[in-house]
Amino acid sequence: MSGLISGKKGSRRLLMGNEAIARGALEAGVKVAAGYPGTPSSEIVENLAKVAEAGNLYVEWSTNEKIAMEVAAAASFARLRSICVVKQNGINVASDFLLHLAGSGTRGGMLVIPCDDPGALSSINEGDTRHFARLLEIPLVEPGDFQEAKDMTKWALELSEELQCVIMMRSVTRLSHASGNVTLGDLPVTDVKAEFRHEGFPLDPNEGIITSAPVAFRHSQQQEKLKKATAAFESSPFNTYTGPEKPEVLIVTSSACNLYSREAINILKAEERVGILKLGTTWPLPEKLIENRLQKCDSILVVEEVIPFMEENLKILAQELEPKIGRKIFYGKRDGSIPSVDEMNPDLVIAPLAKLLGIEYQAMSEEYATNAMQKSFFAAPVRDLTFCPGCPHRASFWSINNVLKLDNNRGFVCGDIGCYTMATLPTGFSTLKTLHSMGSGTGVASGFGKLTQFGMNQSVVTVCGDSTFFHSVIPALVNAVHHKSDITLVVLDNSGTAMTGFQSHPGLEVDASGGDAVKLDIESICISMGAVVKKCNPFDFEKTQQLLFELLEIKEGVKVLILEQICALSPEKKAKKNFEMSVDESRCKGESCGCNRLCTRIFRCPGLVWHEESGISRIDEAICAGCGVCSAICPVGAISRKEVAYE
Amino acid sequence: MEILGTKELMEQVRDKGLCVSCGACVEICPYHKSYKGKIALVFDCDMTPCQCYAYCPQTETDRDLLSRTMFGTMDKGEALGQYRSIIAAKAGSKIKSNRFQNGGTVSALFTHALDSGLIDAAVLTGQNDDLPEPMLIENACDVASCATTKYMATPTLAAVHKAIRDGRKNLGVAGTACQVKALATIKANPLGKAEQENSIGLSLGLFCTWSLDTRKFSAFLAGETGGEKIVSMDVPPPPAETFKIKTENEEREFPLKEIRKMIPRGCACCPDMTAEWADVSVGAYEGKPGWNTLIIRSEKGEQWVEEAIADDYLVRDEFPRSRLEHLTLGADNKRKKAEEFLTKEKK
Repeated sequence: MSGLISGKKGSRRLLMGNEAIARGALEAGVKVAAGYPGTPSSEIVENLAKVAEAGNLYVEWSTNEKIAMEVAAAASFARLRSICVVKQNGINVASDFLLHLAGSGTRGGMLVIPCDDPGALSSINEGDTRHFARLLEIPLVEPGDFQEAKDMTKWALELSEELQCVIMMRSVTRLSHASGNVTLGDLPVTDVKAEFRHEGFPLDPNEGIITSAPVAFRHSQQQEKLKKATAAFESSPFNTYTGPEKPEVLIVTSSACNLYSREAINILKAEERVGILKLGTTWPLPEKLIENRLQKCDSILVVEEVIPFMEENLKILAQELEPKIGRKIFYGKRDGSIPSVDEMNPDLVIAPLAKLLGIEYQAMSEEYATNAMQKSFFAAPVRDLTFCPGCPHRASFWSINNVLKLDNNRGFVCGDIGCYTMATLPTGFSTLKTLHSMGSGTGVASGFGKLTQFGMNQSVVTVCGDSTFFHSVIPALVNAVHHKSDITLVVLDNSGTAMTGFQSHPGLEVDASGGDAVKLDIESICISMGAVVKKCNPFDFEKTQQLLFELLEIKEGVKVLILEQICALSPEKKAKKNFEMSVDESRCKGESCGCNRLCTRIFRCPGLVWHEESGISRIDEAICAGCGVCSAICPVGAISRKEVAYE
Repeated sequence: MEILGTKELMEQVRDKGLCVSCGACVEICPYHKSYKGKIALVFDCDMTPCQCYAYCPQTETDRDLLSRTMFGTMDKGEALGQYRSIIAAKAGSKIKSNRFQNGGTVSALFTHALDSGLIDAAVLTGQNDDLPEPMLIENACDVASCATTKYMATPTLAAVHKAIRDGRKNLGVAGTACQVKALATIKANPLGKAEQENSIGLSLGLFCTWSLDTRKFSAFLAGETGGEKIVSMDVPPPPAETFKIKTENEEREFPLKEIRKMIPRGCACCPDMTAEWADVSVGAYEGKPGWNTLIIRSEKGEQWVEEAIADDYLVRDEFPRSRLEHLTLGADNKRKKAEEFLTKEKK
């Protein structure tokens, strides 16, 4: 966002939710921001990094989420305000530290900001971080629109500082990545000095040591803080009620579901019949406020995404309050009114609401729905998830697939998170056979590699990206080396955290704000661990496959093949083509035996297109990245490449 | 007989473990590839009909088509296949090398064929490190480097296809029963591929009772010899029941039943001991060391042998009736065993 720092108080701007959070952090005087890239969270740290110099901030892309949390915590311990931003699964990575941080308490205001991804639009899980707040016993707040995203950031940081306890502020994809109007506030002029006080009485929260022990003492302190948070939540400006005094149905909702609920009521023209209790503070629940609302309505529809977190907490409260407020009927996930997987939308709110109100509602006629479904099924071109034109991963998996198939002992690849996750699909020749969290490919492989004593003789290969290597592969690799696990790790080094937008990582010479950083060399690290290491360019199929065969021959211990080739979309490439590609139409065998469209049916680079009428393949000049790789796959040499000379 | 595609080839042959790694499906398309004696499908192919299915010796055989192609007649179904005559043979005075499995008939015939221009080039089985490897031979003097039996499955046909793709014609090829059957099919050209016209000049079949899994046997050899160079390997005639391996420093014998464990399943369904779909077939002459049994099958084969004898590449001797009965018995036994295997397989 331009003007993140120059925007004046009172001016209105169209801001993405993540930009609003970044601006809120600036308005709160945050000095340190740390995170690990992950959609939909990345823009918060990215935007703060851009203004780090101008705003005198320290912003970093940490090696992983746990370290990001520790870096942000250190700032808080030194009485600065800080935020740590991660995607939902980042909380899992950081949870061990967070559990201890919840117990030890903080000093300067500190927010943990997970951006969840209900519906897994950019994830392979739809983990709900709200449970962590309850598990770790820390306050949880959730902005319900874009203005709140900014304002709540500041409010929660102030509350955190007051309570001396870390607060979780959860966003979701549809809030982080959508945009809305936001009225800006003031940017404070701060001149805080970082100082860690540790010489006082050990149990003194401001001057003592910071730790979660003695546990019973600190734990009770932590629960006292939660009570104070609950008291503050009772009068929080982010808990709002809209609707008639005594509605027929009370919707209790939060986050992006607030917007869906509002839209649903509007579409059903039920403003006079339905009330919305929008909660900005979702754990612990503000009991009095809830009691007040439940008293006035017996039918409660809880609208939230993924798991019934609010619903369950509300039911506990309603049970406790029953003598005072009577019996309430809840509708939500538990009775199937609202689905408990995938993201929500207005239609999914309308369905149960219309039923409760006795309104006949059909979003579209059946005829239209059938027609639309048929049109989209038959008329829309097939567009699979695919690697980009010129993507080095396509080349790498081409070789890995070839070698494993030829090795012919049912070898397989364990993978993890990155663009290369797509190697479970045809674009990566369906080479990946296990897929879990970051770094887990190598950990899982390390385990497979020790199963020879039980008769397993399949080749075990694992892949990771360069950023993932630093994030969490190193410990797994240490484990594999130490235990002489028979595995081959292929590092798909494309020189950046490419999937999330080329954020810096420890293998690069720059940091988050573009300043100088120390580059760590993956090859030297692996060699120093005692692995057999080879390195080459994945665009060279022959060499890549030869090296991979050689490494698979070595039957004990860890082998590493580093395939180094910059991401096709990397800003450094400046969209330059190395080769002009062309197809000799007279030689192209097309669909006949001996080829059967290898390039457009199997290799499937989007830069190659099948021309149905003439029965030959062609190059799509507009999107071909000019990597030159496809010339090596054509069985009859019909694809040729000509080097492009640049001045 | 319907020619199907890769999917059916996988279902009927490879997935059942019946592939003998002859190489008939390799180097004709980018999907089937050979590596260290095993053939793999690297990517799925959904075409039909396909050359891979058509040439595979383990899919259904159109015996009449092969018979018409090779011998100009309908199939007769005899144990030794069709032949014009059977003789005893060994290398003649023109052949200087003495490193042969038996009588050197194979080396002699190919040396003659290349010298005389009967063929343009030959595909024979040589050695690369510890694995057998098919080689394209253009000069008669290189034939000797491919002598001696390897006992391992070799993708000879892959080299044939590669040579054809490179524009070669009139090739001479030596191979086992499965391989010469594939050659005869290529010659019949059931899919009418232009590049296959006149691609096969002469085929020489090698008697074969079984072959060994290349990966298992090469690992066995490496383990037993400690990497020492192997000079020759041999199965002495019954009732020896042994397998002889001669290295530069010693000669060792192994019980044949241990070696037989490495026979691929695909060999068990082969009914053809004497390589019936070749122009000529060559094997050991049991009881006459230093000589080969040579079955002359086609007219072209007969011409080849006669010229080789006339030009002193080959020497002939009588092949007595008693030996013929013995040979027929052996061939019959193999055919019966294959039938038994297939009956069991169907159950």
